[in-house]
Amino acid sequence: MNLSLWLAVRALLLAVCGGAGAFFGRRYIDHPDGWIHGAAIGLAALSVTLLLFDTLRMRALARWLVTDTARPAPVHTGPLAELGYRIDRALKAREAMTASEQDRIAQFLSAIEASPNGVLLLNAADRIQWMNRVSAEHFGLDPQRDLEQSITNLVRAPAFVTMMRAGQHREPIVIPVPGGRSLSVQLRPYGDGMKLLLSQDITERERNESMRREFVANVSHELRSPLTVLMGFIETLSDVEMDAAERARIYALMSQQGQRMLSLVTDSLTLAQIEGSSRPRVDTWIDVGGLLERIGSDARAFDQGRHVVTVEAGPPARISGTESELYSAVWNLVSNALRYTPDGGAVSVRWRLEPGGRGEFSVTDTGIGIRREHLPRLTERFYRVDSGRSRETGGTGLGLSIVKHVAQRHGGELRVESEPGKGSTFTLVLPASRIDADAAPTAPPAPAPPAGSRPRR
Amino acid sequence: MDKHLSTQFDTELSTVSTRVLEMGGLAESQVNRAVYALTHLNGEVASEVLHDEDRINRMEVEIDGELSTIIARRQPTARDLRLLIAISKTIGNLERVGDEAARIARTVQRLINAGVSSRMRVPIDDLSYESTLATESLRRALDAFARLDVNQALQVLRRDNEIDVEFEGLMRKLVTYMMEDPRTITASIDLVFVAKAIERVGDHAKNLAEQIIYIVKGADIRHTPLDDVESAIK
Repeated sequence: MNLSLWLAVRALLLAVCGGAGAFFGRRYIDHPDGWIHGAAIGLAALSVTLLLFDTLRMRALARWLVTDTARPAPVHTGPLAELGYRIDRALKAREAMTASEQDRIAQFLSAIEASPNGVLLLNAADRIQWMNRVSAEHFGLDPQRDLEQSITNLVRAPAFVTMMRAGQHREPIVIPVPGGRSLSVQLRPYGDGMKLLLSQDITERERNESMRREFVANVSHELRSPLTVLMGFIETLSDVEMDAAERARIYALMSQQGQRMLSLVTDSLTLAQIEGSSRPRVDTWIDVGGLLERIGSDARAFDQGRHVVTVEAGPPARISGTESELYSAVWNLVSNALRYTPDGGAVSVRWRLEPGGRGEFSVTDTGIGIRREHLPRLTERFYRVDSGRSRETGGTGLGLSIVKHVAQRHGGELRVESEPGKGSTFTLVLPASRIDADAAPTAPPAPAPPAGSRPRR
Repeated sequence: MDKHLSTQFDTELSTVSTRVLEMGGLAESQVNRAVYALTHLNGEVASEVLHDEDRINRMEVEIDGELSTIIARRQPTARDLRLLIAISKTIGNLERVGDEAARIARTVQRLINAGVSSRMRVPIDDLSYESTLATESLRRALDAFARLDVNQALQVLRRDNEIDVEFEGLMRKLVTYMMEDPRTITASIDLVFVAKAIERVGDHAKNLAEQIIYIVKGADIRHTPLDDVESAIK
C-alpha cells in the first residue's frame, strides 16, 4: 500500500470520525456548540486509537530489527512500512557487499595459500595473524593454534630473533629449521606496522652448492699429490746424476703419476658430460652382444692374464640409450672388480633378462668385498673404503658415481651386494622400456627404427 | 584501574617469557652448532660457540633481574607466580645447556689439535643420532613452553629414556673401539665426555618439560615415575 493511499485513508478516517462526532454531538450534547465538542471527542478517540495502533506496529518493527532481520519487515502500511522496507534493503545490500568482500579476501588468501613460498603475516607486536600452509610447514607451526603467538617464541634461531628486533632487513637471511633444512627468510613491513614474513626452502640449493665446492676441493686435492710427486722427480732428474737404468725407473714412475692425473681428469670430464647433457635418446639402439665383446677384450688387455675373466653374453637384446655412457658404466664396474680382486681370482660379467622385461648387467668378483657400513656411501664422489689401496691401484674415486649416474639417466639403478672376504656383485639394472629382447644376435649396429616407434615391452 | 594494571602485568609476563625463549633459541643454536663442529671437525664453528657462550650467561643474569623486579612490584599469586618460579629454574637449565655446548666445542678443538681427522676410525658419526634426539627434545620442550602445551611436555618426558639408551649403547661402542685400537683411547675418552654432555642436554630438556607441567597444572612432578605423572595431571 503506497504512501498517498495511506494518507487518503487517514484523511477519510479523520473526516468520518470528525463528522460522526459532530453529528452525535449536535444530537446528544445539550449545548449550543455541542457539535464542536462531539467532533473533538471523536477526533480525540481516533488519535488515541491510531497512537496505540502505531505504537504496537513500531514495537513490532523494533523487535524485528533487533532479533530477526532475515525475514521481511513485519509492517505493511504507511511510512513505517516504508521505513522497514528501506532498512531491510540497506541491510541486504550491506550483507551482499560483506559477502563479496569476504569472497575476495578468501580468494586472495587462497592465492597466497597456493604460493610455493611461505607467507606469514605479523601484527605490530610481532604476533602471528595468518600463515599459509607452506609457511606453517617451513617453521613447524600450527596454522590454527599458533595464531596470536609471538613469532620469536616459536622461531628461535638467534639470527632470526635479531632480524625481528631490527624490524626490517633488506637482505634475506638463512636460518636452520628442524629436520636439518635451511630457509631463506625475508621480512617486509606493510600497512600500519604490520610485517610480512616470506620464507623459501633452500636446502636443495645449499646442498648442491656445497657438493660442487667439495667436488672442486676434492679434485684439486687428488691432482695435487701426483703433481707433487712429478715435481719431485723433475727436480731429482735435473739435480742428480744417475745411470740409464735409474733414469728409466723414474720415467716409469712419472708416467704412472701422469696416467693417474689423466684418468682423474677423464673421469671428471665424463661425469660432467653425463650430468650436463640431456637424457639419453630412446631411438638409438645398442647391441648388447657387441658391447660385451668390447668389454671382454678390453678387460683381457687391461688385466694381462692376472685374473680369470669370463663374459656371458646371455640372451640377445638391444638397449636404447647412449653407447658411450653404457660402455663407460660397465667398464667401470669391470675395472673396479679387477682392481679389488687379488691375482688369480675370478671376475665374471653377465647379461640377463628378467621375467618382467628388465635387463641386468652384473659383474661378480671373488675379491676383498666391502663392509656393510660402506655400502650406502659407495657411490659418493671420492668416497673411498680404503684410500691408500684405491689410489695405489689407479682408482679415481669417481667410477661408481659415473655408473650410478648412467643408470639413473637410463631410468635404471645400481645394486650392490657384497660380503667381506668373499667378493661383490655390482648389478646395473635397466628398465624394460629400454630393452628390445627380439634383436637378432648377429645384427650389426642396429639401424635406428622409424621415428615415433616405441620399444617393445 | 585494576584492569589496566593487570594488563600491564600481562605484558610484562609475556615479555619475560619471550626473553626466556630467545635465550632458549640461543641455547638450541649453541648445541646444534657444537654438534655440527664435532661431526664436521670444524674448528671455526667451535670457536664461534665458545665466543657466544657468554651471551647466554649474560641473558640468564638479565632475566633473573627482570624476575626479581616483577615479583617485588607485582607480588604475583597462583599461576603467575608459578610461571615466574618456573622461568627462574628454566633459565638455570638453559644456561647449563649452553655450558654443555661449550664443553663439546672445547673437546672439538682438542680433537682437532690432537690431529684427529675424519678419516681416523673414531665413531664421531655415531654421536649424531644421540645429539639429534637431544636437540629434538630441547626444541620440543621450548615449543611446549611457548604454547604451554602439557601434552607436548609429556612427550619430551617420554622420550628421555631413548636418549639414555642411546648413551649406554655409545659407551659400549666406544669401549670396543678402545679395546680394538689403543691409539684411539685419548680421542675416545673425549667422545665419552661429549656423549655425556649431549645426554645432559636431554636431561635439561626434561627438566624444562617438568616446569611446563608445573606452570599449567600446578603439580610438581619432579622425581615422579612417568606413569604416576600421567595419572597425576589427568
